Amino acid sequence: MATELGKAGANPTKTFFVRMITRDITLEDCILDLIDNSVDGAWRSEGSRPMGLAQDTDLSRYKIEITATPEIFCIEDNCGGMTLDDAMEHAFSFGRKTTDDTDDYSIGVYGIGMKRAVFKLGSDIMVRSTFCEETGSRFAFAVPIVISDWLRDDTPPWDFDIIEDEELPEDGVNITVKALTSGAATSFGSPAFLQNLRRTIGRDYSLHLHRGLNIVLNGTQISGWQIEMLQGADFSPMRVEYEDEVEGDTVTVEVIGGMAAPPPDTGDPDVEDEGEKRFGWYVVCNGRIVLAADKTTISGWGTEDWPQWHRQYSGFIGIMLFTAANAAALPLTTTKRSVDTSSEVYRRARPKMREVTRSWIDYTNSRKQALEEAKRIEAAAAPVAIYAVARRVNVVLPRLVAKPPEPVANVNYAVPLVKLKKLAKALGRSSMPYRDVGLKSFEYTYDDLVGEE
Amino acid sequence: MASFNVINYSLRPSKSIQRQLVFDGIRKLQAHLHLEDIVYVGFGSVWFTDFVMVHKLLGVREMISIEGNDVGYRRALFNAPFATVTVKHGFSGQVLPELFVDAALRAKPWLIWLDYDYELNESVRDDLRAVIENAPANSVLLVTFNGIEGKYGQAPERSERLREILGAVVPDDLPKSSCKGDRMQAALADLTLDFLKSSAAEIARPGGFVSAFRIIYQDGAPMVTVGGVLPAKGAARVAADVVGEADWPGRPPAPIKAPHLTMREAAVLQAQLPRDAPLSRPQVQELGFDLEDHELEAFQTYYRQYPAFAQIVA
Repeated sequence: MATELGKAGANPTKTFFVRMITRDITLEDCILDLIDNSVDGAWRSEGSRPMGLAQDTDLSRYKIEITATPEIFCIEDNCGGMTLDDAMEHAFSFGRKTTDDTDDYSIGVYGIGMKRAVFKLGSDIMVRSTFCEETGSRFAFAVPIVISDWLRDDTPPWDFDIIEDEELPEDGVNITVKALTSGAATSFGSPAFLQNLRRTIGRDYSLHLHRGLNIVLNGTQISGWQIEMLQGADFSPMRVEYEDEVEGDTVTVEVIGGMAAPPPDTGDPDVEDEGEKRFGWYVVCNGRIVLAADKTTISGWGTEDWPQWHRQYSGFIGIMLFTAANAAALPLTTTKRSVDTSSEVYRRARPKMREVTRSWIDYTNSRKQALEEAKRIEAAAAPVAIYAVARRVNVVLPRLVAKPPEPVANVNYAVPLVKLKKLAKALGRSSMPYRDVGLKSFEYTYDDLVGEE
Repeated sequence: MASFNVINYSLRPSKSIQRQLVFDGIRKLQAHLHLEDIVYVGFGSVWFTDFVMVHKLLGVREMISIEGNDVGYRRALFNAPFATVTVKHGFSGQVLPELFVDAALRAKPWLIWLDYDYELNESVRDDLRAVIENAPANSVLLVTFNGIEGKYGQAPERSERLREILGAVVPDDLPKSSCKGDRMQAALADLTLDFLKSSAAEIARPGGFVSAFRIIYQDGAPMVTVGGVLPAKGAARVAADVVGEADWPGRPPAPIKAPHLTMREAAVLQAQLPRDAPLSRPQVQELGFDLEDHELEAFQTYYRQYPAFAQIVA
């Protein structure tokens, strides 16, 4: 046997951790990670049940308040707090231990969210928690972290000091970050960043907000997206539920899909359409929307025998809900901003997604041949909240009888934008789509110069 | 409006007051940010009113006027008031990119005032974003546009129109009521400032954008002027302090609607000012004439900036 010359050191340094874990995540996702912790707290306080679309949980007594300015970031909640045991054993360690109990339908899974988030935000950090002990008495502690001090010594153990603290007004967690990184300070000074953050929170937590959870950003309450399907006449969304298993953990999968809005009259990609951003596939893991309005290969578009997303398919919304006691069984990426497409439970769900997508694609194709009839039927469908969608194995869409098409001429021309806007205004609505301005001008001229024959 | 209030329109006293407030502000910035040697970029038209003030009041030597109209260009060349005024022929969207790459111009901070006589639209937005992205450090950017609500469509579609122009900064729940009457100008001013700030953050401009000017004024149509400083990284604090002082002139709390006074009226009123208690309407009547309360209040607020025109009657 060869003589050992020595050991090649493989111990990590703290600097490595701070740099690496903050590199691959956006500031926005970091804030969502902190919100996830608060939401998990609220969910634990409510008894940790599966979070499908069931409406029996009222979260209206919970409030998550976020302050983001160029000087300071703060998130405080009244969601029950982190226990001292949690803080000593789990919350501040890097990564979860294999022995950690994760049977709580939470969304936190990798044991990295809070550290990564606060490191990304700034370098002077104070985590405070007040919680109710099993004996019923309240207990408060704080974990101050000054990164420059903490980085100074790499020798294990890598502890953070836990100190006594005054009680917070309600049981909950308060995380305050000062000495913000320049990236965070710049973003928090940008009204566009804050508006977009508001939009993302309203979308990704729409299931929680719908249950009454209060999330406040810089003093303004955030309202959740209403996700609705059209139902009635010849339309019914599909809704199926089944159980899958991943390495001993049960995952409940629910698929809902159908028409959320009538498709556009034209597939012309130049037409501006704000509503377009709502359509596509949504993936929800333990209540949190991790993929929204997806039109990419992640949800199957442009793979196998699916076509690429096309504007013609606008109006479709599909939702996949994965629910598991152990969050590790969910098809989540660590940033919770996408789906782990290699996950088996996700791959097995894909054919279900494909069926409903395929039906929709076929419908939008047949619709082109019988547009007037399709519009008439579509107008009779009424919106229902996704929570109220009835179970049904297949999506129901109208069967349309194609009419022999009249030969048509397509007209395509460019005019100065300013003139078009002025004409749109003169025609009655300055936000009128370009196409309609063209059609109306044609009809106007036709009526004047040709008239009834 | 009574006809005696229209006749003086070409003199535009409110616009004049607005210019004074802006240049008062620039002077304060000059003192703190070392803006002695700067370039002025503006739309001088054939009158060059702002150019005359910039040169005389602020001592700016190098001045560039952008003129898109063919006849206007010839007339601007003829009317240029100083030897150091250059007139560039073309629209701002064409001329600005040429200025951005001019090494000699880039060596100094700019004072750039895009004083449009039409409403905020996509091309104005593109000009603004280009300036935020390209102006040299310590430049000051101002923009003026028409703020009348009717230019932005019918009431229910105005928030959507704003979203088309300004994008993400427009709140999803901006109510229709915020886009009516006076509130429309306030919304335009605030959202345009949000847009400028966000554009600077978007490209991580080292000193960001420090909001400094927000002036609404009205001679005919209500006009909106907003702007701010694009400080060098180290100068952001100083700039924010200067524009944060209590006597900073760039953010008058109410729209400027200056009364149209004769030289004699203005002179008589001015002789009563400054004073501790405001001049009342009966006191004006004692002086021998009369004014509406709001006109009297506006004059007392802005008499120091009120233009001393010699009215020439044809």
